[in-house]
Amino acid sequence: MRFRFFLSEAFGSMRRNWVMAMAAVITVFISTAILGAVLVTRDNLNQGATNLKNRVKIEVFIKDEATPEQTQALERKIQGLNDVKSYKYISKEEALRRFRERFGERIIKNLPINPLPASYEIQVKNADRVDSVAQQFFNDPTVDNSPGTHDGVKYARETVRKMLSTISLIEKGMWVTTGIFAAAAVLLISTTVRLSIFARRREVEIMRLVGATNWFIRWPFVLEGFITGLVGAMLAAAFVWVGNWGIANWIQSSQIDFLSLRIFRMWWQGGAWPLGLMPSLAILGALLGAVGSLVALRRYLKT
Amino acid sequence: MIVFEDVIKVYDPDVVGLQDFTCHIGKGEFVFLVGPSGSGKSTLIKLVLKELVPESGRILVAGRNLGTLRKSRVPLLRRNIGCVFQDFKLLPNKTVHDNVAYALEVVGEPRRSIRRKVPEILSLVGLAEKTDSYPHEISGGEQQRVSVARAFVNHPPLLLADEPTGNIDPETAVGIMQLLVRINRTGTTVVIATHDRDMVNRMRRRVLQIEAGRLVRDERRGSYDQVTEEVGDAL
Repeated sequence: MRFRFFLSEAFGSMRRNWVMAMAAVITVFISTAILGAVLVTRDNLNQGATNLKNRVKIEVFIKDEATPEQTQALERKIQGLNDVKSYKYISKEEALRRFRERFGERIIKNLPINPLPASYEIQVKNADRVDSVAQQFFNDPTVDNSPGTHDGVKYARETVRKMLSTISLIEKGMWVTTGIFAAAAVLLISTTVRLSIFARRREVEIMRLVGATNWFIRWPFVLEGFITGLVGAMLAAAFVWVGNWGIANWIQSSQIDFLSLRIFRMWWQGGAWPLGLMPSLAILGALLGAVGSLVALRRYLKT
Repeated sequence: MIVFEDVIKVYDPDVVGLQDFTCHIGKGEFVFLVGPSGSGKSTLIKLVLKELVPESGRILVAGRNLGTLRKSRVPLLRRNIGCVFQDFKLLPNKTVHDNVAYALEVVGEPRRSIRRKVPEILSLVGLAEKTDSYPHEISGGEQQRVSVARAFVNHPPLLLADEPTGNIDPETAVGIMQLLVRINRTGTTVVIATHDRDMVNRMRRRVLQIEAGRLVRDERRGSYDQVTEEVGDAL
């Protein structure tokens, strides 16, 4: 294979048809940038969702009159549950210390006794299982439930439910968006390539008359597609990276308390970056260009 | 060099390209194909290049049966046939030099011999000065000479020309024709489809006249028009 000849043909043709080459680069850029943005956004949302899920905890309050044996039995029960990721014992003193931290010395200064109960903080492995784990403690005698209620077990029941359904909706939506944009990218790129090859069909015809084999004709076009695709996709990857970084920075540092941006910030550490997004975008762009050229050439290389 | 046996080529819908066409063109011959537009001259040339495939009949080019020639071998066939067209068919984005060189690149000629052969052939056709010009920068006659140079740079055993002088003025046409004659003298078989009455009458070479897809005349040292006894007497 005369690689040098093909490469110089490809570069020569890009220089001559630079408008078309630019159009192809821009098309690949837009398509892959959108695709990349969707993928990055999805990852960021996933990261946020994971953070949120990790924050879901169940507090089980212990009656003041519970004996150490009862407390230990409760701890064993927590240990025995499959869905529990971790748990932590909060003593009455620890609870008071936290309370003081949050609300200040003044309120509790004059309290004769410590009114706060000891508790276990339980984190579940999967936020979906928070209900079933919580239920285990509804009728436990060691738990500080008022008669007829489950107020000794606290967890953000409604919040968890809403959060879970929102996250799954967003995830589904993102998959659909990814699919749509991927399809649009393929269509857009193949149209651009087809246009540029249509403009040069006479050239292809002449090459065939001179006795060029199909692959001899194809290689420069395929290389050209590969290079334009690669350049466009790499620009897009860089663009998405800078955008992601910029937005993350802005959210982290912004002072405004708008649309619960602050809450958002609590769980979104920002700047999640799908592993290997840059190389995969670049490879995708290059392949799109190369395969696009091959497909578009097919009809001019019959017989 | 070229053998047609009972070749039938039909374009749809029922437009006849060639009808029971039989002819033999020997090695080293110089042949004119004459006849009105649409009579089948170009069809014949496209059949030889295997750009078209006949409905029936047999075509041999340099002893190879085109009917059994595999698709992948078609480029090899074309490398052994030089082609000159009315519209020159030069690559618009390549210089005169690169247009000729392309035919050599295609056959995998080493770089060094390309560097030697291209200037050689360009000075043969009298275009040594125009090496770096692009096709749109030179005249029609010059473009046609580039096209002849490209067709001949591989020294193919067969050269086909479809109306080579159709788009250029008569004086330049003579130059092109002289080039083709010189190429013929090197042993290359030359087949020219043409409308150029003066040229054919002046050259007195073998003439194949085609009308409505049929061979109606095959004359050894013919003129453009068939001179029948009666017409000859009347003159």
